[in-house]
Amino acid sequence: MGLWFVWIDYQIRRDFEALQWALPARIYSRPVELYVGAHVDAEVLTGYLQRLGYRRSGRVAGPGEYQLTDDGLRLRTRGFQFWDGAEPPVYAELSVADHHISMLQGEGGSELPLVRLEPVEIEQINPVTGEDRLPVSLAEVPPALVDAIIAIEDQRFYSHHGIDPKGIARAMWANVKAGGIVQGGSTLTQQLIKNLYLNRKQTLRRKAEEAVMAVALELHFSKDEILTAYLNEIFLGQDGNRAIHGFALAAQHYFGRPLNELRLDELALLAGVGRGATYYNPLRYPERAIARREVVLTSMHERGDIDDKEFEQARKAELQVREKGVTRTGYPAFMELVYENLSRDYDSDALRTEGLKIFTTLDVSMQAVVEARLDAAVKQVERASAKDNPLETAVVITDANTGEVRALAGGRKRGYSGFNRALHAKRPIGSLVKPAVYLTALESGQFTLASVLSDREIELRQPNGDVWSPQNYDRESNGDVYLFDALERSLNLATVDLGMQVGVDKVIDTLHRLGYVGNPQPYPSVLLGAVDMTPIEVAQLYQTLASSGFRSPLRAVEAVTTSSGEPLAFYGIETKQVADPAAVFLLEHAMQGVFERGTARYAANTIGGSMPLAGKTGTTNDLRDSWFAGYGNDLVGVVWIGHDNNAETGLTGATGALLVWSELMKELDIEPRDAIAPAEIMWDQVPQQAVRDSSDRDCGRTVSLPFHAEHMADVGISCEVNDSFFERVLDRFRSLGQ
Amino acid sequence: MRSLLLGAVLCLLGACSSTYQPPPPSVPPATNVPPAIPPVVVVPGQPPVVSTTRQPLPPSTVEPAAPVPAPAATPTSTLLASVQAAITAGDLERGAALSERALRISPRDAQLWYQLAIIRQRQNRLDEATNTARRALSFVGTDEILRRQINLLLEQVGAATSRNAR
Repeated sequence: MGLWFVWIDYQIRRDFEALQWALPARIYSRPVELYVGAHVDAEVLTGYLQRLGYRRSGRVAGPGEYQLTDDGLRLRTRGFQFWDGAEPPVYAELSVADHHISMLQGEGGSELPLVRLEPVEIEQINPVTGEDRLPVSLAEVPPALVDAIIAIEDQRFYSHHGIDPKGIARAMWANVKAGGIVQGGSTLTQQLIKNLYLNRKQTLRRKAEEAVMAVALELHFSKDEILTAYLNEIFLGQDGNRAIHGFALAAQHYFGRPLNELRLDELALLAGVGRGATYYNPLRYPERAIARREVVLTSMHERGDIDDKEFEQARKAELQVREKGVTRTGYPAFMELVYENLSRDYDSDALRTEGLKIFTTLDVSMQAVVEARLDAAVKQVERASAKDNPLETAVVITDANTGEVRALAGGRKRGYSGFNRALHAKRPIGSLVKPAVYLTALESGQFTLASVLSDREIELRQPNGDVWSPQNYDRESNGDVYLFDALERSLNLATVDLGMQVGVDKVIDTLHRLGYVGNPQPYPSVLLGAVDMTPIEVAQLYQTLASSGFRSPLRAVEAVTTSSGEPLAFYGIETKQVADPAAVFLLEHAMQGVFERGTARYAANTIGGSMPLAGKTGTTNDLRDSWFAGYGNDLVGVVWIGHDNNAETGLTGATGALLVWSELMKELDIEPRDAIAPAEIMWDQVPQQAVRDSSDRDCGRTVSLPFHAEHMADVGISCEVNDSFFERVLDRFRSLGQ
Repeated sequence: MRSLLLGAVLCLLGACSSTYQPPPPSVPPATNVPPAIPPVVVVPGQPPVVSTTRQPLPPSTVEPAAPVPAPAATPTSTLLASVQAAITAGDLERGAALSERALRISPRDAQLWYQLAIIRQRQNRLDEATNTARRALSFVGTDEILRRQINLLLEQVGAATSRNAR
């Protein structure tokens, strides 16, 4: 018997001292930054604040509250420990005009250049136990919650020694009076022990053990330590396969707000949930929860914890639980990328137990736009006959300058968690490969935008002996065409002509420099996109182009800190020059032409207000894949549309993916492209009609093109060098004579 | 009964060695937190910070200038001041993180890329310094003074790279 006591005493002491909860990693979105000029819609901003659990009020009194004004809003932030330092809580007033912040100031109109809001917690990586909690110290817990817990669970907590015979008698009496069980007789200490050993069977022997353990615990540890453990340990609800432990997480789970922002009625309700988390779940059984709240408040009132006014106010308060599903919408496609990024440095155990904070690049507002629009946008391009075999899609949107992935869709339905096409659907990229062909040529110094290519039928023998006879999409050939024109109109024959001159292996090398890691066979068909890539691999190529030839590896994770905010890893912006910026500038001139005159010109109907933009359409054999990749100053977007079974879609890049891309980018208000010309760039006029022989040159109608200063247009072609009055007149006669 | 007493004594003894610590607060109390964005400061010995890119939205009206008006702090000038403070404090990694925060707000600002390149140089991450400085050059436009500063940095980094290679 003695040994039994010693063993129990040892066990509880050991377990309580070693009490270190396995804490899930918490994954955060990119935080919203507020400053004058920031692209913000009041509606989107309030949506973000609601995701953070901010409460709308008539007057901003405390942190986590906002108030709408005629032209913007007022708010008080909560502050947050970021990887680069602490963001202090601040009061801010802002006005919004024309989708931008037009005024931002602090308390009393003080200067406030920049405010960073808290990030949205988008996911947890839970311990294998499924337990989730937000550990808090006693000092962080509102005293009213402690009062409420003591009033309803254990009124003699501060005077008993772990078990409380008087309390049992009082509870019995209360239950008899109420005609049902409204109070329990076990102390907080006993309940804590029950929770710590939750998986044990509740036999009489176990109950006796628990009573002894409660006494032992009280002998070794202070009341504050026991209370703190109770506040963090107690089971307060279930959220799918995640168990909600502790009051701080319960506050987030039921009210969407931190514990220290809850009102008396909400704290009383939480205290009441402890007795039966399923039965009193305010999300499912609000009437039961309110009745329980009444019992807690009455008990507090009887004990003098709250006065008459507080009591009346709290019992009449309307129950405002968080909207179901608002804070728990997952981002499975993006999270897969996060796991991929993290797996380089963190094993699964660290992610499930150490309470790491993972800061990601996800822009929740942008992701919401993509998810809200994507399905309808795809439907618009889908043929009526596609009912039995609906189109699928994937979207990747990145920051054009840093390579941060801002939004990702692995399928057409919101929150789709199946096959992640954005990361795994390897498909031929068709004409999306062409910028690599043209960049190779422009970098070589042998070609300019005004180089004349042959857009004529050709037969080529592939290394395996097959004869390859490429065709233009319209099965026409165009004779002599300018290099820029061939890209704008996506002419296959001219591209093959160019690609064979520069060499397929050189084009593959360019693909590698732009960020592609695969190794396609160097067949001529590579020049027209017979190379399989996933949408995110395509996004990497176009990211490098959008960054003027600087490659930044695409990434979803920004930084990792410990649970208390100590920085562990910071995945900064990487940038590496992999292509000549002047050649990329020339290439981009033609890629802007794709929108102005080329295969993407119809997008102007949707997105004309954001022009100029740069991009490229992509279509594969028998219209199986419809691609578009494009960028403005701020964003790169890649859209793929096709069928999982590789069936024909009836769509080209221009009639499918481009329209979806335009729809999304219009909604995201993509910034027009404003390419900064490197110092080497000069402009020249060339005849509109490409000719090989200078005597056929018609300078009556010209186009202005950029050139690298060391590789200007041929003297025979330029309309500026020889543009004397006599030449102009002669040209005019020549053109009239044709 | 004797066993119970023994247990109690053991318990009392055990209490002396209790090491249970309440868990740390998930967010440090605001009062103990130094502001992440200090007011704009001029750091002696550092070149004045001039943003070379256009600001997103200029004020719609401009009041007649008061005598010597203080320049309004912009988000990037505020962050650059924090960057300078971090560098002065020797916390280069935080300086880099703050530079990148500024770049997220104004990613085509040559001055910000230049600042990050300087930090990478001081961290002796020379390859990154070179590439970041080249990136700065790609946004420099017509700011010839900044262009010269960046080229000077590239020369210094190039020289350091050669020295390291020897």
